[in-house]
Amino acid sequence: MDSGTLSGIITAVFVIVFIGIVWWAFSTRNKQRFEEDARLPFEDDDDRPAKQGDKQ
Amino acid sequence: MEATTYNYKVVRQFAIMTVVWGIVGMLVGLILASQLIWPDLTFGIEWLSYGRLRPLHTNAVIFAFGGSAMFAVSYYIVQRTCQVRLWAEKLAAFTFWGWTAVIVLAAVTLPLGITTSKEYAELEWPIDLLITVVWVSYALVFFGTIIKRKTKHIYVSNWFFGAYILVIALLHLVNSAELPWILGGSTSAWYKSYSAYAGVQDAMVQWWYGHNAVGFFLTTAFLGMMYYFIPKQAGRPIYSYRLSVVHFWSLNFIYMWAGPHHLQYTALPDWAQSLGMVFSLMLLAPSWGGMMNGIMTLSGAWHKLRTDPILKFMVTALSFYGMSTFEGPMMSIKTVNALSHYTEWTIGHVHSGALGWVAMITIGSMYYLIPRLFGRESMYSTKLIEWHFWFSTIGVVLYIASMWIAGVAQGLMWRAANPDGTLTYSFAQVVATMHPFYGIRLAGGALFFGGMLMMAYNVWQTVRAGRVVNDAPIPQAVHA
Repeated sequence: MDSGTLSGIITAVFVIVFIGIVWWAFSTRNKQRFEEDARLPFEDDDDRPAKQGDKQ
Repeated sequence: MEATTYNYKVVRQFAIMTVVWGIVGMLVGLILASQLIWPDLTFGIEWLSYGRLRPLHTNAVIFAFGGSAMFAVSYYIVQRTCQVRLWAEKLAAFTFWGWTAVIVLAAVTLPLGITTSKEYAELEWPIDLLITVVWVSYALVFFGTIIKRKTKHIYVSNWFFGAYILVIALLHLVNSAELPWILGGSTSAWYKSYSAYAGVQDAMVQWWYGHNAVGFFLTTAFLGMMYYFIPKQAGRPIYSYRLSVVHFWSLNFIYMWAGPHHLQYTALPDWAQSLGMVFSLMLLAPSWGGMMNGIMTLSGAWHKLRTDPILKFMVTALSFYGMSTFEGPMMSIKTVNALSHYTEWTIGHVHSGALGWVAMITIGSMYYLIPRLFGRESMYSTKLIEWHFWFSTIGVVLYIASMWIAGVAQGLMWRAANPDGTLTYSFAQVVATMHPFYGIRLAGGALFFGGMLMMAYNVWQTVRAGRVVNDAPIPQAVHA
């Protein structure tokens, strides 16, 4: 197998893996999981609302 | 016994040094900008000549200012989002002193003219080895902390930091492969080395390194910062966490291949040049996806932008991120590059990213972070942050607008030809045309620098009236 064929195969594999990642990220099955992850920075109690801006 | 508090000491050290190195690096930038207007400014002293100060400026702002900021925020965020104290704290302390030693060595060797002459990797082999040891220690501390985390998942910022740490290690090892001349029998300059690469391979390795330093140091790392501090400062989670996942992976898949756009119309094979251009154009999608993700986090909280200068810094940083990631792909297009390359336009583009994006997101994050590290509710003066914001913004705009005009004029003048094929303008004529724009650039840079001095005063007053926080508690109720 020459290097051109190998490059082609690797490129194709990467494209498939990437499509897989997008599918995984946006599948409804994982919706809740990612919403929970988005709240990870807020799990501590250091959340004094910023002095500036409105009070929450 | 399990630790009940976070390690803020190393975060504090790096955060303070971020401000210090920012001022030092930007001051050198100001001197360089002045030298272009008044070439005899430094009385012909060789240590202060343009060629020696220029790498000092780039190393100081990227690796000292940007690097210290990244150490500070990555150590802070990885602890807080993993809800554990840093792993191997002695090693973390070593990364501070080791990294600081690298910076000091750079500040000594570069003015002395000791350089490998590889752009953004000028430091000679003994310092390269120290960088490697510090970086491996950093990786151990960071990933060690990730491994012992109490949370189930790894927050997206940490993914960005992880990619940055791994890729920078790879770039440094490959690009800095060099032969110390002492092995070649030289006894006069034991610190001198020669690159392992030659010719066009050397150029390609250099810009594979150079562009990925932009991609993974100045972009990926600071996006990790953005994905934590914007939600925190805005008081709401990131607009779309799923988009951030796709943002992360698409940057990783694409960035690696964009380097050849630095070598358009050179001896690099034509297909490699085109490849670099195509991948650079593709980068527009994840870059703008990420920018929108950050900005939309404020939806429903736009009013905060009116009153909160920290948030202004962060959102303006994202706007500059969007601008420079649009400009970059455009400049990688061969026909545009034919005009823009080697001109001041490139300098304008770099500073739109470096001052507008990297420095402003860092400044905003430091204003969030520093009061928390010193037991204060907020910075000493919010008014001064507001002033800093306007100084910075106007400074960047002056800088990049003057360099756009200068660059396009320069490119057009260089390529202008008379009907008989001779050049319309001599090189010196083009240099003379640059003069007023160099003046405007200096004014913009001076404004930005003035803002940094305000920051230093504000930080000093905050620290003076504060206390060192070593008792920030780790939440004990673990969320699965």
